[in-house]
Amino acid sequence: MNSVFFKVSRSAPGGASKHVQSFRVAIQERMTVLDALFAIQREQDPSLAFRYSCRVAMCGTCAMYINRIPRLACKTGIENLASETITVEPLPHLPVLKDLIVSLEPFFAQWKRVRPAFHFSGRNSQELARIPPASEFGRQAREKRDCITCGACFSACGVTGTNRRYLGPAAINKAYLRLMDPRDDAVEERLRVVNDELGGIWRCHTQFNCVAACPKGIDLTDSIARVKRAMLRPGRFREKLSETSGPEV
Amino acid sequence: MKNSARLLVRKYSWQYSGMLAWLIQRVSGLLLLFYLFLHVLTINKLSQGPTAFDQAMSLFQRPAFKLLEIALLGTVVLHALNGIRITLIDLGVGHEKQRQLFWLLALGIGGLIFLAGAIPIFLFSILRI
Repeated sequence: MNSVFFKVSRSAPGGASKHVQSFRVAIQERMTVLDALFAIQREQDPSLAFRYSCRVAMCGTCAMYINRIPRLACKTGIENLASETITVEPLPHLPVLKDLIVSLEPFFAQWKRVRPAFHFSGRNSQELARIPPASEFGRQAREKRDCITCGACFSACGVTGTNRRYLGPAAINKAYLRLMDPRDDAVEERLRVVNDELGGIWRCHTQFNCVAACPKGIDLTDSIARVKRAMLRPGRFREKLSETSGPEV
Repeated sequence: MKNSARLLVRKYSWQYSGMLAWLIQRVSGLLLLFYLFLHVLTINKLSQGPTAFDQAMSLFQRPAFKLLEIALLGTVVLHALNGIRITLIDLGVGHEKQRQLFWLLALGIGGLIFLAGAIPIFLFSILRI
């Protein structure tokens, strides 16, 4: 595999006049899709627009629809795709700004709804917070706090595509972490949002698309399922049972 | 195979098989709903007397309907076993093994149950050996 055929989705500013443009790219060892996009921009078409920042899969800026799967361009090795033709499109379910760049506005609008920031009334307290690593919050936070808000789960989800009110997996995962946190006290506001009949947790159809798409390997469907089960036991989050290493939700 | 078809097969064969399971559950659910209407319609013939009911039943003894019966068996088994998978996931059991549950329980064991029912129907009601 010395060269690969790239079929890149192009569009004018605002996402108008969408079409596919083909490029042949010479492949080097350990080359990523992001490297290939740079090669195209440098050698074939300087007008190609895409977004990136860290290049090491920790900022979540370069999420794209690569071979029909939402992935980070910087983390996707061309050799691993094992494909003669690679299609690169902007993330679905989000408005296209130009070429491969989408607006994450719908994603962050839902993200903001769950009040993602930490709310702690005792912020002047001199006491150290103790989170036992074996407690449920200790264990869950370790696995689920790595979200880089790339929007891959949001664009992979079958529900966000048809329901604009749906919070989406990342926002619910964030709400779950805050709800479990024994220091956080904005419980009531978050419960109201996640329990929303038309846009909350109950809209999740357990398709597992978000889990399959998440570049950080977060089990987002598990977070949603845990909030669902906890909602069936009123007071679960209010009591913050997570402080102890008691039984799982 | 065309590139796009190959990509779809690769996508849904394992990594995104949860979506495939969801789609199959919805489609099989709609098919069963259609069957339910047909079933109620046939049972309703009883109110028109035994002759009308027997006439309807004789229609269902035809080989073509026996083939549909085999298809019904497959739909019921798939829907039921995938339903068990979804219930287990909702209860927090086997969440990490949802793909294996779909392929081994719903399609694997489901396939065996289907064959155990479909082969006798085919041999004794369609070929009439």
